[in-house]
Amino acid sequence: MPVESATRAVRTGLVAFAFLAYLIFIGVPGKIGGSALPVLALISALFIWLALRRESAALSGTAVDPGPGAYQKKPGWEIGPRDTSDASPFVDHLPFSVVTGFVLKGVLAGCTTGLLIAVLSGVSATAMGNGVSIQPVFDKIVPVNVAALIGVSPGQIAQAEVPLLRFVLQVLFFAGAGLLAALVAAAARSSQSQAEQLARLTTRLSGPTTVNVARYAGVALPFLLLAYIAWLGLPGVSVFGSNEGTIRLLITLIATGSGLFALRLSLPGRERTVVGVLLGLGVLAMPFILDQFQNSVMGLVFIFVMMGLGLNIVVGYAGLLDLGYVAFFAIGAYTYAFLSAPFSSPYVSSLLLLLGVAPESPLLGYWMALPVAMLTAAAGGILLGIPVLRMRGDYLAIVTLGFGEIIRLFMLNLGELTNGPRGILEISQPALFGLSPSSVTFGLLSSQGWIFLLALVSSALVAFVAIRLNDSRLGRAWFAMQEDEDVAEATGVHLVRTKLLAFAIGATFAGMAGQLYAARQINIFPENFSLFVSIDALALIIVGGIGSPAGIVLGALALKGLPEVLRGVDEYRIVTFAALLVIMMIVRPAGILPSARRRIQINDPNEMGPDSKIVSDGEAEVVQTAGVAKNAANGQEEAM
Amino acid sequence: MTALLSVQRVTKVFGGLTAVDGVDLDIEERSITSLIGPNGAGKTTLFNCLTGLHRPEVGEILFSGSSLIGLRPDEITDRGVARTYQNIRLFGRMTALENVLVGQHLRLEASHWSAVLRTARQQSEERAARELARDLLDFVGLSGREGVVSTNLPYGDQRLLEVARALGSRPRLLLLDEPAAGMNPSETDRMMDLVHRLRDEKGITVFLIEHDMKVVMSISESVAVLDYGEKIAEGTPEEVRANARVVEAYLGPEVEVQEATESASH
Repeated sequence: MPVESATRAVRTGLVAFAFLAYLIFIGVPGKIGGSALPVLALISALFIWLALRRESAALSGTAVDPGPGAYQKKPGWEIGPRDTSDASPFVDHLPFSVVTGFVLKGVLAGCTTGLLIAVLSGVSATAMGNGVSIQPVFDKIVPVNVAALIGVSPGQIAQAEVPLLRFVLQVLFFAGAGLLAALVAAAARSSQSQAEQLARLTTRLSGPTTVNVARYAGVALPFLLLAYIAWLGLPGVSVFGSNEGTIRLLITLIATGSGLFALRLSLPGRERTVVGVLLGLGVLAMPFILDQFQNSVMGLVFIFVMMGLGLNIVVGYAGLLDLGYVAFFAIGAYTYAFLSAPFSSPYVSSLLLLLGVAPESPLLGYWMALPVAMLTAAAGGILLGIPVLRMRGDYLAIVTLGFGEIIRLFMLNLGELTNGPRGILEISQPALFGLSPSSVTFGLLSSQGWIFLLALVSSALVAFVAIRLNDSRLGRAWFAMQEDEDVAEATGVHLVRTKLLAFAIGATFAGMAGQLYAARQINIFPENFSLFVSIDALALIIVGGIGSPAGIVLGALALKGLPEVLRGVDEYRIVTFAALLVIMMIVRPAGILPSARRRIQINDPNEMGPDSKIVSDGEAEVVQTAGVAKNAANGQEEAM
Repeated sequence: MTALLSVQRVTKVFGGLTAVDGVDLDIEERSITSLIGPNGAGKTTLFNCLTGLHRPEVGEILFSGSSLIGLRPDEITDRGVARTYQNIRLFGRMTALENVLVGQHLRLEASHWSAVLRTARQQSEERAARELARDLLDFVGLSGREGVVSTNLPYGDQRLLEVARALGSRPRLLLLDEPAAGMNPSETDRMMDLVHRLRDEKGITVFLIEHDMKVVMSISESVAVLDYGEKIAEGTPEEVRANARVVEAYLGPEVEVQEATESASH
């Protein structure tokens, strides 16, 4: 290995160590407990992987040419490889020398980090074992912290009983992390199709026959996890100081997310249908398996999936940035609250008197109230849409932002109508065939499980409608409008109608979500509908991948589900989360599961076409011009 | 025979600048007419007035007998006027096929509910639309390029795709804004051939802005010349070529040229 790349690897190791040292100083290992070492090793692997990726981009032979086949038949919503017939992703094998180079670099970087960590913890442990207090210097390096790092109890450190083997183990761990990162980077380098990520590694090591095995393993993974939750229960593991319930929740989140990835990994046609049905059944089983807490989190996640899908119509399909989306959510929630809670405002009762309806409670059941809530929200959407028809970009964002706040302030200040800050209490629960979770135990289903189930079914319905609309002439008109409003109009798109439809449909979905949210919360207050709901909804579609329904589900799992799992590390929750988001945006700027169109936008458009200049050979030639290097970098982005 | 398009005293003012100044113009059905003039003469502004992007202050535009003034761009397209753009304005992230499908938007009637339910009628309409889109791509010479994202098409093909998109709305009058700009000779020949076929095979009236005099002289049946927003000449290519005002507009007054050569020789 040339000296230069060795230095680079060592430098990567140093950077990773610097970050880990920071984590150690702020006391993260102590928080995580027994599994601190693997977690830190994985973090360092991430660093090494990023560095290797960047380095590999400088080499030619990335050969990431999705070709015209990668984006051919469908508009952007469809997940998964578009055309498998022309995909021969495993043609170019990396030469052995390149793979070896990667592995050496990765291991070297890992060893650097590992050695430094070992030295740090070794010195600390020795000092503590000898009774030297280093707390004045680094008051956060308390014995428990170092002990967690070495994997012994704090008592053993105090008695200087740390076997040398522990330190060797540390180095090995980090070297392993480097190896892992190198393998992943090397495998991804030779990718041609995004779909075969998982299979690639094994192909690299053995041959094309293992592709299917790996793919099926990937496809089966979520179901194995589901089965694990369902039948075995969980051993009393503790990560991040959390309890078994949270771990179960984490696994549920991972299972659902990996199920979506599996769906993308599967081949279109029968295999995808099978995966889809199994995933559907697996997810539908969740409300019956999970407990009240997990169900309530998952219910919230899927309520936000509905929100995301609705907002995606406005932002992702029609390209209208709406920052006041919470308004429609609030309208849906309050409409249902008016119709089903004992609270009755004088306005509503006098209106009822006029209509000759006896004011009873609840006025309407969940299902009768559903169309009312949807229509009210749609009306709100049109109400907002009309004044902003001529606005674009920033102006639109600001006006919609104001609209969201206006609705919240209405709820807060119209005391007689909405009960102001005291909110509306005792909203009735959705019943089905006269059965409600509050009256009967509903078999296996807890009350939150029932909400979760409803959220699942509703979001499936919403996704179905959204996907089909996007695949019709309306979807094309939306997208054309997003691309060039003037030309779309001159081509024959009725702008007013098309924009208002986007606002109204988006608002309808938010209204449905709001109604379910009111039922979930039982009591709602104006403060439930702050600006942050809008921001969450927007963030989840950006993280998941604008325009891609599967991505939106993943985004909701990550943004609404993960924070609940991270409750155990309360003070680091937001930091961790922010870091995750930043990494996300670097690694996958178009979202976790982007729609094909977004990928075109984010990456250099020339990457995608048949005329793009991409060096195709697998040999590790050094690229001459910066321009081609950039191409290769972009191609790499595509591959990851 | 009455003209398909009749432009009467159309005037468009931007602030203090009169971009189009009292232009009269008649275009016969199934003819190929060119609009020429120096840069900034108001050619594209006239096109924008015709397609509803601008609303002229004065004047009347009659298309097969009814006025286009005050109609929205999509309504004008619905009447049968389609156009392309000087600086190509395709829907960049859509495929070639999708661009043409958007062009057909007005001609599709299935309701949005039927799109959600995928009714048989909606499905057959979509199939027919795709079929037509493919035919149109074949017609302009882009067969086999359906699935290519339009920004990735070569420049000349992008211009052809704009024509195909315009054809999607089944126009009677097609406005081409500098269709051959930036093309190499063989691409220009393809475009000229296409313009002829538009008229001969599809019966479409073509009205085009063009700078390439070779193109103008060889394909147009009549030529109108704009200079500083005014129409200064109209007639067959030969007549226009011989017109002194046209030469002056393009080359400047003859006197100045002589003076310039004289002063240079001194």
